[in-house]
Amino acid sequence: MPVFGEIGYYEPWWMQLAKAVAIFLVVFNMVPLALLADRKLLGRFQNRYGPTRVGPFGALQAVADIGKLLFKQQFVPQDSRKWLFIVAPVISMVTAAATLAIIPFSDTVDIFGTKTGLYGVDPSIGILFAFAFGGIAFYGLMLGGWSSNSKYSFLGSMRSAAQLISYEIAQGLSIIGVIMMVGSLSLVDIVQWQEEHFWLFGPQFVGWLIFLVAGFAETNRPPFDLPEAEAELVGGYFTEYGGGRFAAFFAAEYLNMVVVSLLFTTIFWGGWDVPLWDQPNWIEPIVVLLKMWVFIFFFIWVRATLPRLRYDQLMSFGWKILLPLATLNALVTAVLVVVLD
Amino acid sequence: MAEVFFFLAAIGAIGGAAGTVMLRDAFYSVLALVTHLIFLAMLFLLLRAEFVAAAQVIVYAGAVMVLYVFVVGYVGGLEAGLAGRSGPALRVISVLFALVLFVELAIALIGTGLEALDSEGAPYVPGFGEPSRIGELFLTDYLVAFEVASLLLLVAAVGAVILARRRTGLADPREVSVTEFMKRDEVTKGEGETGTMIEAGGPRDI
Repeated sequence: MPVFGEIGYYEPWWMQLAKAVAIFLVVFNMVPLALLADRKLLGRFQNRYGPTRVGPFGALQAVADIGKLLFKQQFVPQDSRKWLFIVAPVISMVTAAATLAIIPFSDTVDIFGTKTGLYGVDPSIGILFAFAFGGIAFYGLMLGGWSSNSKYSFLGSMRSAAQLISYEIAQGLSIIGVIMMVGSLSLVDIVQWQEEHFWLFGPQFVGWLIFLVAGFAETNRPPFDLPEAEAELVGGYFTEYGGGRFAAFFAAEYLNMVVVSLLFTTIFWGGWDVPLWDQPNWIEPIVVLLKMWVFIFFFIWVRATLPRLRYDQLMSFGWKILLPLATLNALVTAVLVVVLD
Repeated sequence: MAEVFFFLAAIGAIGGAAGTVMLRDAFYSVLALVTHLIFLAMLFLLLRAEFVAAAQVIVYAGAVMVLYVFVVGYVGGLEAGLAGRSGPALRVISVLFALVLFVELAIALIGTGLEALDSEGAPYVPGFGEPSRIGELFLTDYLVAFEVASLLLLVAAVGAVILARRRTGLADPREVSVTEFMKRDEVTKGEGETGTMIEAGGPRDI
Protein backbone atom coordinates (compact mmCIF):
# COMPACT_ATOMS: atom_id res chain seq x y z
CA MET A 1 0.00 0.00 0.00
CA PRO A 2 1.36 3.45 -0.85
CA VAL A 3 2.35 5.75 1.98
CA PHE A 4 -0.80 7.82 1.90
CA GLY A 5 -3.08 4.82 1.34
CA GLU A 6 -4.82 5.26 4.65
CA ILE A 7 -6.01 8.72 3.84
CA GLY A 8 -7.43 8.07 0.44
CA TYR A 9 -4.45 8.47 -1.87
CA TYR A 10 -4.45 5.00 -3.27
CA GLU A 11 -3.73 5.90 -6.86
CA PRO A 12 -0.29 5.83 -8.50
CA TRP A 13 1.30 9.25 -8.96
CA TRP A 14 0.47 9.55 -12.66
CA MET A 15 -3.20 8.97 -11.96
CA GLN A 16 -3.18 11.66 -9.27
CA LEU A 17 -1.64 14.08 -11.74
CA ALA A 18 -4.04 13.11 -14.50
CA LYS A 19 -7.16 13.51 -12.40
CA ALA A 20 -5.92 16.76 -10.88
CA VAL A 21 -5.50 18.20 -14.37
CA ALA A 22 -8.81 16.75 -15.57
CA ILE A 23 -10.83 18.08 -12.63
CA PHE A 24 -9.22 21.49 -12.85
CA LEU A 25 -9.74 21.77 -16.60
CA VAL A 26 -13.36 20.66 -16.52
CA VAL A 27 -14.40 22.86 -13.61
CA PHE A 28 -12.30 25.83 -14.62
CA ASN A 29 -14.02 25.81 -17.99
CA MET A 30 -17.27 26.30 -16.13
CA VAL A 31 -16.06 29.82 -15.28
CA PRO A 32 -16.45 31.39 -18.76
CA LEU A 33 -19.69 29.44 -19.15
CA ALA A 34 -20.97 30.85 -15.87
CA LEU A 35 -19.88 34.30 -16.99
CA LEU A 36 -21.78 33.91 -20.24
CA ALA A 37 -24.83 32.46 -18.47
CA ASP A 38 -24.73 35.38 -16.07
CA ARG A 39 -24.84 37.94 -18.85
CA LYS A 40 -27.32 36.13 -21.07
CA LEU A 41 -29.74 35.23 -18.28
CA LEU A 42 -29.50 38.64 -16.64
CA GLY A 43 -30.45 40.05 -20.01
CA ARG A 44 -33.47 37.78 -20.26
CA PHE A 45 -34.54 38.53 -16.69
CA GLN A 46 -34.43 42.23 -17.51
CA ASN A 47 -36.29 41.90 -20.79
CA ARG A 48 -33.34 42.43 -23.09
CA TYR A 49 -31.19 40.15 -25.19
CA GLY A 50 -27.85 40.23 -23.40
CA PRO A 51 -24.72 39.88 -25.58
CA THR A 52 -25.55 38.87 -29.15
CA ARG A 53 -22.68 40.05 -31.32
CA VAL A 54 -19.72 37.73 -30.71
CA GLY A 55 -20.26 34.27 -32.12
CA PRO A 56 -23.64 32.58 -32.57
CA PHE A 57 -26.14 34.08 -30.08
CA GLY A 58 -23.22 35.87 -28.41
CA ALA A 59 -21.85 32.54 -27.23
CA LEU A 60 -18.23 33.66 -27.52
CA GLN A 61 -18.73 36.84 -25.49
CA ALA A 62 -16.96 35.44 -22.41
CA VAL A 63 -13.97 34.35 -24.48
CA ALA A 64 -13.79 37.80 -26.06
CA ASP A 65 -13.98 39.47 -22.62
CA ILE A 66 -11.20 37.32 -21.23
CA GLY A 67 -9.08 37.77 -24.33
CA LYS A 68 -9.48 41.53 -24.12
CA LEU A 69 -8.47 41.59 -20.44
CA LEU A 70 -5.44 39.38 -20.94
CA PHE A 71 -4.03 41.55 -23.73
CA LYS A 72 -4.39 44.78 -21.81
CA GLN A 73 -1.47 46.51 -20.16
CA GLN A 74 -0.34 44.98 -16.86
CA PHE A 75 -0.68 48.13 -14.83
CA VAL A 76 0.64 48.63 -11.29
CA PRO A 77 -0.18 51.96 -9.60
CA GLN A 78 2.84 53.98 -8.59
CA ASP A 79 1.94 54.38 -4.92
CA SER A 80 0.87 50.79 -4.38
CA ARG A 81 2.77 48.17 -2.45
CA LYS A 82 4.07 46.54 -5.59
CA TRP A 83 4.63 42.93 -4.74
CA LEU A 84 1.55 42.65 -2.51
CA PHE A 85 -0.45 44.17 -5.35
CA ILE A 86 0.85 41.45 -7.65
CA VAL A 87 0.46 38.59 -5.17
CA ALA A 88 -3.13 39.38 -4.08
CA PRO A 89 -4.97 38.10 -7.21
CA VAL A 90 -2.79 35.00 -7.17
CA ILE A 91 -3.91 34.21 -3.61
CA SER A 92 -7.55 34.68 -4.61
CA MET A 93 -7.16 32.39 -7.58
CA VAL A 94 -5.19 29.66 -5.80
CA THR A 95 -7.53 29.44 -2.83
CA ALA A 96 -10.58 29.35 -5.08
CA ALA A 97 -9.11 26.52 -7.12
CA ALA A 98 -7.76 24.59 -4.12
CA THR A 99 -11.21 23.77 -2.79
CA LEU A 100 -11.90 21.84 -5.99
CA ALA A 101 -9.61 19.11 -4.69
CA ILE A 102 -12.15 17.75 -2.22
CA ILE A 103 -15.27 17.83 -4.39
CA PRO A 104 -16.30 14.24 -5.16
CA PHE A 105 -17.60 13.66 -8.69
CA SER A 106 -18.07 9.93 -8.25
CA ASP A 107 -17.12 7.03 -6.03
CA THR A 108 -14.04 4.89 -6.58
CA VAL A 109 -14.14 3.62 -10.17
CA ASP A 110 -12.03 1.33 -12.30
CA ILE A 111 -10.10 3.19 -15.02
CA PHE A 112 -8.10 0.74 -17.18
CA GLY A 113 -7.54 -1.49 -14.18
CA THR A 114 -6.50 1.32 -11.85
CA LYS A 115 -8.78 1.98 -8.94
CA THR A 116 -9.40 5.71 -8.89
CA GLY A 117 -11.56 7.93 -6.75
CA LEU A 118 -13.09 10.59 -8.95
CA TYR A 119 -12.07 13.39 -6.60
CA GLY A 120 -8.76 15.12 -5.90
CA VAL A 121 -8.30 13.95 -2.34
CA ASP A 122 -10.55 12.65 0.39
CA PRO A 123 -8.92 13.88 3.60
CA SER A 124 -10.42 13.04 6.96
CA ILE A 125 -10.90 16.74 7.65
CA GLY A 126 -13.11 16.96 4.55
CA ILE A 127 -15.13 20.12 4.64
CA LEU A 128 -12.68 21.81 7.03
CA PHE A 129 -10.27 21.82 4.09
CA ALA A 130 -12.66 24.11 2.25
CA PHE A 131 -13.02 26.37 5.27
CA ALA A 132 -9.26 26.57 5.70
CA PHE A 133 -8.82 27.83 2.15
CA GLY A 134 -11.80 30.09 2.61
CA GLY A 135 -9.94 31.62 5.53
CA ILE A 136 -6.85 32.22 3.42
CA ALA A 137 -8.94 33.57 0.52
CA PHE A 138 -9.67 36.57 2.69
CA TYR A 139 -6.04 37.68 2.35
CA GLY A 140 -6.43 37.89 -1.41
CA LEU A 141 -9.19 40.49 -1.10
CA MET A 142 -7.64 42.23 1.87
CA LEU A 143 -4.15 42.57 0.42
CA GLY A 144 -5.59 43.60 -2.93
CA GLY A 145 -7.52 46.41 -1.29
CA TRP A 146 -4.81 47.51 1.09
CA SER A 147 -1.89 47.41 -1.30
CA SER A 148 -3.73 49.52 -3.91
CA ASN A 149 -3.33 52.51 -1.61
CA SER A 150 -6.74 53.87 -2.53
CA LYS A 151 -9.62 54.72 -0.22
CA TYR A 152 -12.24 52.94 -2.32
CA SER A 153 -10.20 49.76 -2.54
CA PHE A 154 -9.42 49.86 1.15
CA LEU A 155 -13.02 50.40 2.23
CA GLY A 156 -14.13 47.65 -0.13
CA SER A 157 -11.66 45.19 1.30
CA MET A 158 -12.58 46.15 4.86
CA ARG A 159 -16.22 45.49 4.10
CA SER A 160 -15.41 42.17 2.56
CA ALA A 161 -13.28 41.27 5.58
CA ALA A 162 -16.10 41.95 8.01
CA GLN A 163 -18.59 40.20 5.77
CA LEU A 164 -16.51 37.08 5.24
CA ILE A 165 -15.76 36.69 8.95
CA SER A 166 -19.38 37.17 9.96
CA TYR A 167 -20.82 34.71 7.51
CA GLU A 168 -18.06 32.13 7.80
CA ILE A 169 -19.16 31.46 11.38
CA ALA A 170 -22.79 30.93 10.42
CA GLN A 171 -21.73 28.78 7.48
CA GLY A 172 -19.50 26.63 9.65
CA LEU A 173 -22.22 26.14 12.25
CA SER A 174 -24.87 25.35 9.64
CA ILE A 175 -23.20 22.14 8.49
CA ILE A 176 -22.62 20.78 12.00
CA GLY A 177 -26.05 19.18 11.77
CA VAL A 178 -25.01 17.34 8.62
CA ILE A 179 -21.76 16.23 10.19
CA MET A 180 -23.58 14.88 13.23
CA MET A 181 -26.08 12.94 11.13
CA VAL A 182 -23.44 11.47 8.85
CA GLY A 183 -20.76 11.05 11.48
CA SER A 184 -17.95 12.13 9.18
CA LEU A 185 -16.43 15.30 7.80
CA SER A 186 -15.40 13.70 4.52
CA LEU A 187 -17.47 14.83 1.53
CA VAL A 188 -17.27 11.36 -0.01
CA ASP A 189 -18.76 9.86 3.16
CA ILE A 190 -21.47 12.51 3.19
CA VAL A 191 -22.51 11.69 -0.38
CA GLN A 192 -22.37 7.93 0.26
CA TRP A 193 -24.57 8.38 3.32
CA GLN A 194 -27.08 10.32 1.25
CA GLU A 195 -27.01 7.59 -1.38
CA GLU A 196 -27.96 5.01 1.26
CA HIS A 197 -30.48 7.09 3.18
CA PHE A 198 -31.92 10.33 1.83
CA TRP A 199 -30.75 13.69 0.59
CA LEU A 200 -29.90 15.98 3.46
CA PHE A 201 -31.65 19.16 2.38
CA GLY A 202 -34.90 17.69 3.77
CA PRO A 203 -33.98 16.84 7.35
CA GLN A 204 -31.41 19.65 7.46
CA PHE A 205 -33.62 22.23 5.79
CA VAL A 206 -32.70 25.08 8.14
CA GLY A 207 -29.02 24.20 7.90
CA TRP A 208 -29.31 24.15 4.13
CA LEU A 209 -30.97 27.57 4.01
CA ILE A 210 -28.29 29.09 6.26
CA PHE A 211 -25.54 27.49 4.20
CA LEU A 212 -27.15 28.83 1.05
CA VAL A 213 -27.44 32.39 2.32
CA ALA A 214 -23.95 32.34 3.82
CA GLY A 215 -22.68 30.92 0.54
CA PHE A 216 -24.07 33.95 -1.28
CA ALA A 217 -22.31 36.21 1.21
CA GLU A 218 -19.04 34.30 1.04
CA THR A 219 -18.86 34.59 -2.73
CA ASN A 220 -19.73 38.31 -2.66
CA ARG A 221 -22.64 37.72 -5.00
CA PRO A 222 -25.71 39.95 -4.98
CA PRO A 223 -27.60 40.68 -2.76
CA PHE A 224 -24.46 40.55 -0.60
CA ASP A 225 -22.10 42.23 -3.07
CA LEU A 226 -21.24 45.08 -0.71
CA PRO A 227 -17.48 44.76 -1.11
CA GLU A 228 -17.82 45.87 -4.70
CA ALA A 229 -20.95 48.02 -4.55
CA GLU A 230 -20.44 50.10 -7.68
CA ALA A 231 -22.58 53.00 -6.57
CA GLU A 232 -20.64 53.49 -3.35
CA LEU A 233 -17.16 52.12 -3.86
CA VAL A 234 -16.47 52.27 -7.61
CA GLY A 235 -15.32 48.66 -7.79
CA GLY A 236 -14.46 47.63 -4.26
CA TYR A 237 -11.17 45.94 -3.55
CA PHE A 238 -10.24 45.66 -7.23
CA THR A 239 -10.84 49.30 -8.15
CA GLU A 240 -7.18 49.83 -9.02
CA TYR A 241 -6.79 46.57 -10.90
CA GLY A 242 -6.86 46.16 -14.64
CA GLY A 243 -5.98 43.68 -17.32
CA GLY A 244 -4.92 40.19 -16.37
CA ARG A 245 -4.90 40.82 -12.63
CA PHE A 246 -8.46 42.09 -12.72
CA ALA A 247 -9.34 39.04 -14.80
CA ALA A 248 -7.82 36.85 -12.07
CA PHE A 249 -9.98 38.47 -9.37
CA PHE A 250 -13.02 38.23 -11.58
CA ALA A 251 -12.40 34.61 -12.48
CA ALA A 252 -11.76 33.78 -8.82
CA GLU A 253 -15.14 35.23 -7.96
CA TYR A 254 -16.92 33.11 -10.54
CA LEU A 255 -14.83 30.08 -9.62
CA ASN A 256 -15.93 30.61 -6.01
CA MET A 257 -19.52 30.62 -7.18
CA VAL A 258 -18.93 27.35 -9.04
CA VAL A 259 -17.21 25.80 -6.03
CA VAL A 260 -19.94 26.87 -3.61
CA SER A 261 -22.55 25.45 -6.00
CA LEU A 262 -20.61 22.18 -5.99
CA LEU A 263 -20.57 22.25 -2.18
CA PHE A 264 -24.35 22.81 -2.06
CA THR A 265 -24.71 19.85 -4.41
CA THR A 266 -22.46 17.47 -2.51
CA ILE A 267 -23.43 18.33 1.05
CA PHE A 268 -27.17 18.78 0.73
CA TRP A 269 -28.36 17.55 -2.67
CA GLY A 270 -26.96 14.05 -2.81
CA GLY A 271 -23.84 14.72 -4.87
CA TRP A 272 -23.65 12.16 -7.66
CA ASP A 273 -26.76 10.30 -6.47
CA VAL A 274 -29.88 10.07 -8.61
CA PRO A 275 -32.83 8.87 -6.52
CA LEU A 276 -34.71 5.73 -7.54
CA TRP A 277 -32.15 4.85 -10.18
CA ASP A 278 -29.03 2.73 -9.97
CA GLN A 279 -27.04 5.01 -12.23
CA PRO A 280 -23.90 3.85 -14.07
CA ASN A 281 -20.61 5.34 -12.91
CA TRP A 282 -19.83 7.33 -16.03
CA ILE A 283 -22.97 9.42 -15.65
CA GLU A 284 -22.24 10.49 -12.08
CA PRO A 285 -19.85 13.39 -12.83
CA ILE A 286 -22.43 14.71 -15.31
CA VAL A 287 -25.11 14.51 -12.62
CA VAL A 288 -22.92 16.52 -10.25
CA LEU A 289 -22.29 19.16 -12.91
CA LEU A 290 -25.98 19.36 -13.82
CA LYS A 291 -26.97 19.90 -10.19
CA MET A 292 -24.24 22.51 -9.96
CA TRP A 293 -25.77 24.37 -12.90
CA VAL A 294 -29.12 24.45 -11.14
CA PHE A 295 -27.49 26.36 -8.32
CA ILE A 296 -25.58 28.65 -10.65
CA PHE A 297 -28.89 29.47 -12.31
CA PHE A 298 -30.27 30.19 -8.85
CA PHE A 299 -27.35 32.51 -8.11
CA ILE A 300 -28.08 34.47 -11.29
CA TRP A 301 -31.81 34.48 -10.64
CA VAL A 302 -31.29 35.96 -7.18
CA ARG A 303 -28.91 38.54 -8.62
CA ALA A 304 -31.58 39.64 -11.06
CA THR A 305 -34.28 39.72 -8.39
CA LEU A 306 -33.05 41.14 -5.10
CA PRO A 307 -31.61 44.59 -4.39
CA ARG A 308 -28.40 44.97 -2.42
CA LEU A 309 -28.62 44.97 1.38
CA ARG A 310 -27.54 47.96 3.40
CA TYR A 311 -24.34 47.42 5.38
CA ASP A 312 -25.96 47.42 8.84
CA GLN A 313 -28.72 45.12 7.58
CA LEU A 314 -26.07 42.74 6.33
CA MET A 315 -24.26 42.69 9.65
CA SER A 316 -27.32 42.35 11.86
CA PHE A 317 -28.73 39.66 9.58
CA GLY A 318 -25.53 37.65 9.86
CA TRP A 319 -25.00 38.00 13.58
CA LYS A 320 -28.52 38.31 14.97
CA ILE A 321 -30.46 35.94 12.75
CA LEU A 322 -28.23 33.46 10.95
CA LEU A 323 -25.82 32.75 13.81
CA PRO A 324 -28.46 32.01 16.52
CA LEU A 325 -30.48 30.04 14.00
CA ALA A 326 -27.46 27.95 13.04
CA THR A 327 -26.66 27.33 16.71
CA LEU A 328 -30.25 26.30 17.36
CA ASN A 329 -30.16 24.00 14.34
CA ALA A 330 -27.01 22.30 15.63
CA LEU A 331 -28.56 21.93 19.09
CA VAL A 332 -31.87 20.48 17.87
CA THR A 333 -30.06 18.11 15.50
CA ALA A 334 -27.79 16.95 18.34
CA VAL A 335 -30.79 16.16 20.55
CA LEU A 336 -32.63 14.40 17.72
CA VAL A 337 -29.60 12.36 16.71
CA VAL A 338 -29.22 11.10 20.29
CA VAL A 339 -32.95 10.47 20.79
CA LEU A 340 -33.53 8.69 17.48
CA ASP A 341 -30.46 6.48 17.79
CA MET B 1 9.65 13.89 -0.68
CA ALA B 2 8.63 14.41 2.93
CA GLU B 3 12.13 15.74 3.71
CA VAL B 4 11.84 18.39 1.01
CA PHE B 5 8.52 19.53 2.39
CA PHE B 6 9.84 19.47 5.93
CA PHE B 7 12.72 21.79 5.15
CA LEU B 8 10.47 24.01 3.06
CA ALA B 9 7.99 24.31 5.92
CA ALA B 10 10.68 24.68 8.58
CA ILE B 11 12.48 27.43 6.70
CA GLY B 12 9.18 29.15 6.03
CA ALA B 13 8.13 28.94 9.67
CA ILE B 14 11.43 30.29 10.96
CA GLY B 15 11.53 32.98 8.30
CA GLY B 16 8.00 34.04 9.16
CA ALA B 17 8.76 34.16 12.86
CA ALA B 18 11.92 36.19 12.26
CA GLY B 19 10.01 38.53 9.96
CA THR B 20 7.34 39.08 12.61
CA VAL B 21 9.94 40.36 15.03
CA MET B 22 12.24 42.20 12.65
CA LEU B 23 9.99 43.93 10.14
CA ARG B 24 9.45 47.61 10.93
CA ASP B 25 6.10 48.01 9.24
CA ALA B 26 3.34 46.62 11.45
CA PHE B 27 1.32 45.43 8.45
CA TYR B 28 4.19 43.38 7.05
CA SER B 29 4.91 42.09 10.52
CA VAL B 30 1.37 40.75 10.79
CA LEU B 31 1.64 39.23 7.32
CA ALA B 32 4.88 37.53 8.34
CA LEU B 33 3.04 36.04 11.31
CA VAL B 34 0.34 34.73 8.97
CA THR B 35 2.99 33.07 6.79
CA HIS B 36 4.54 31.59 9.90
CA LEU B 37 1.20 30.11 10.99
CA ILE B 38 0.50 28.64 7.56
CA PHE B 39 3.92 26.97 7.42
CA LEU B 40 3.34 25.64 10.95
CA ALA B 41 0.13 24.06 9.65
CA MET B 42 2.24 22.45 6.92
CA LEU B 43 4.50 20.97 9.60
CA PHE B 44 1.44 19.61 11.39
CA LEU B 45 0.32 18.02 8.12
CA LEU B 46 3.71 16.35 7.78
CA LEU B 47 3.16 14.92 11.26
CA ARG B 48 -0.19 13.64 9.97
CA ALA B 49 -2.13 15.81 12.39
CA GLU B 50 -4.67 16.83 9.76
CA PHE B 51 -7.23 18.20 12.14
CA VAL B 52 -4.70 20.29 14.04
CA ALA B 53 -3.41 21.68 10.75
CA ALA B 54 -6.92 22.61 9.60
CA ALA B 55 -7.77 24.14 12.96
CA GLN B 56 -4.53 26.09 12.89
CA VAL B 57 -5.34 27.63 9.52
CA ILE B 58 -9.04 28.23 10.20
CA VAL B 59 -8.71 29.63 13.71
CA TYR B 60 -5.38 31.45 13.62
CA ALA B 61 -4.72 32.40 10.00
CA GLY B 62 -8.40 32.64 9.07
CA ALA B 63 -9.91 34.37 12.10
CA VAL B 64 -7.49 35.72 14.69
CA MET B 65 -4.97 37.14 12.25
CA VAL B 66 -7.76 38.57 10.13
CA LEU B 67 -8.66 40.79 13.07
CA TYR B 68 -5.00 41.80 13.43
CA VAL B 69 -4.88 42.73 9.76
CA PHE B 70 -8.15 44.58 10.20
CA VAL B 71 -6.84 46.66 13.10
CA VAL B 72 -3.44 47.38 11.58
CA GLY B 73 -5.10 48.21 8.29
CA TYR B 74 -7.34 50.78 9.94
CA VAL B 75 -4.83 52.25 12.35
CA GLY B 76 -2.17 52.33 9.67
CA GLY B 77 1.15 50.65 10.18
CA LEU B 78 3.02 52.63 7.56
CA GLU B 79 3.51 55.99 9.22
CA ALA B 80 3.41 54.85 12.81
CA GLY B 81 6.01 52.12 12.43
CA LEU B 82 7.04 50.05 15.38
CA ALA B 83 9.81 52.23 16.79
CA GLY B 84 9.50 51.87 20.54
CA ARG B 85 11.74 53.00 23.34
CA SER B 86 15.29 51.90 22.97
CA GLY B 87 18.46 52.20 25.02
CA PRO B 88 21.47 50.29 26.28
CA ALA B 89 19.68 48.92 29.36
CA LEU B 90 16.80 47.55 27.28
CA ARG B 91 19.23 46.00 24.84
CA VAL B 92 21.11 44.18 27.59
CA ILE B 93 17.88 42.94 29.16
CA SER B 94 16.53 41.69 25.84
CA VAL B 95 19.73 39.76 25.14
CA LEU B 96 19.57 38.32 28.67
CA PHE B 97 15.99 37.16 28.19
CA ALA B 98 16.86 35.60 24.85
CA LEU B 99 19.74 33.74 26.49
CA VAL B 100 17.52 32.48 29.32
CA LEU B 101 14.94 31.26 26.82
CA PHE B 102 17.62 29.55 24.76
CA VAL B 103 19.07 27.79 27.83
CA GLU B 104 15.60 26.68 28.91
CA LEU B 105 14.82 25.25 25.48
CA ALA B 106 18.23 23.60 25.29
CA ILE B 107 17.66 21.94 28.68
CA ALA B 108 14.26 20.70 27.58
CA LEU B 109 15.70 19.38 24.33
CA ILE B 110 18.78 17.70 25.77
CA GLY B 111 16.71 16.43 28.69
CA THR B 112 15.01 14.02 26.34
CA GLY B 113 18.41 12.45 25.68
CA LEU B 114 17.81 12.90 21.95
CA GLU B 115 16.81 9.24 21.88
CA ALA B 116 14.62 9.62 18.83
CA LEU B 117 17.56 10.65 16.62
CA ASP B 118 18.58 7.10 15.76
CA SER B 119 15.08 5.69 15.51
CA GLU B 120 12.40 5.93 12.85
CA GLY B 121 10.21 8.07 15.07
CA ALA B 122 6.80 7.20 16.41
CA PRO B 123 4.98 4.64 14.24
CA TYR B 124 1.98 5.81 12.27
CA VAL B 125 -1.31 4.34 13.42
CA PRO B 126 -4.12 4.55 10.84
CA GLY B 127 -6.73 6.98 12.05
CA PHE B 128 -4.22 9.05 14.00
CA GLY B 129 -5.01 12.75 13.95
CA GLU B 130 -8.46 12.26 12.46
CA PRO B 131 -11.27 14.47 13.76
CA SER B 132 -13.19 11.50 15.16
CA ARG B 133 -10.19 10.33 17.19
CA ILE B 134 -9.55 13.82 18.53
CA GLY B 135 -13.22 14.28 19.39
CA GLU B 136 -13.17 11.02 21.31
CA LEU B 137 -10.14 12.13 23.32
CA PHE B 138 -11.76 15.48 24.05
CA LEU B 139 -14.86 13.82 25.48
CA THR B 140 -13.05 11.13 27.48
CA ASP B 141 -9.47 11.69 28.66
CA TYR B 142 -9.34 15.46 28.37
CA LEU B 143 -12.92 16.34 29.18
CA VAL B 144 -12.10 18.61 32.13
CA ALA B 145 -9.35 20.50 30.32
CA PHE B 146 -11.63 20.88 27.29
CA GLU B 147 -14.55 22.21 29.31
CA VAL B 148 -12.35 24.54 31.36
CA ALA B 149 -10.84 25.96 28.18
CA SER B 150 -14.26 26.54 26.66
CA LEU B 151 -15.43 28.19 29.90
CA LEU B 152 -12.40 30.47 29.77
CA LEU B 153 -13.23 31.48 26.21
CA LEU B 154 -16.85 32.08 27.18
CA VAL B 155 -15.76 34.35 30.02
CA ALA B 156 -13.49 36.23 27.64
CA ALA B 157 -16.28 36.64 25.10
CA VAL B 158 -18.75 37.90 27.71
CA GLY B 159 -16.09 40.25 29.05
CA ALA B 160 -15.45 41.64 25.58
CA VAL B 161 -19.16 42.26 25.06
CA ILE B 162 -19.47 44.03 28.41
CA LEU B 163 -16.39 46.18 27.84
CA ALA B 164 -17.53 47.19 24.37
CA ARG B 165 -21.23 47.65 25.11
CA ARG B 166 -22.94 50.96 24.59
CA ARG B 167 -23.30 52.60 27.95
CA THR B 168 -26.50 54.52 28.56
CA GLY B 169 -26.02 58.20 29.25
CA LEU B 170 -22.73 58.41 27.46
CA ALA B 171 -24.13 58.43 23.93
CA ASP B 172 -22.82 61.15 21.70
CA PRO B 173 -25.64 63.70 21.21
CA ARG B 174 -24.46 64.25 17.65
CA GLU B 175 -25.09 60.61 16.90
CA VAL B 176 -28.25 60.15 14.84
CA SER B 177 -29.71 56.86 13.79
CA VAL B 178 -30.70 56.65 10.15
CA THR B 179 -34.15 55.33 11.03
CA GLU B 180 -34.87 58.20 13.38
CA PHE B 181 -33.58 60.69 10.87
CA MET B 182 -35.84 59.40 8.14
CA LYS B 183 -38.88 59.83 10.42
CA ARG B 184 -38.19 63.50 11.01
CA ASP B 185 -40.67 66.06 9.80
CA GLU B 186 -38.27 67.80 7.45
CA VAL B 187 -37.82 64.52 5.66
CA THR B 188 -41.34 63.13 5.61
CA LYS B 189 -43.20 66.41 5.27
CA GLY B 190 -40.54 68.29 3.39
CA GLU B 191 -41.09 70.06 0.18
CA GLY B 192 -41.19 67.00 -1.93
CA GLU B 193 -40.85 68.48 -5.34
CA THR B 194 -41.75 66.44 -8.33
CA GLY B 195 -39.14 63.96 -9.34
CA THR B 196 -37.51 63.60 -5.93
CA MET B 197 -37.18 60.43 -3.91
CA ILE B 198 -39.44 61.80 -1.20
CA GLU B 199 -42.20 62.27 -3.67
CA ALA B 200 -41.73 58.71 -4.78
CA GLY B 201 -42.85 57.70 -1.28
CA GLY B 202 -39.37 56.75 -0.13
CA PRO B 203 -38.92 57.03 3.59
CA ARG B 204 -42.43 56.62 4.93
CA ASP B 205 -42.66 52.97 5.96
CA ILE B 206 -39.50 52.64 7.98
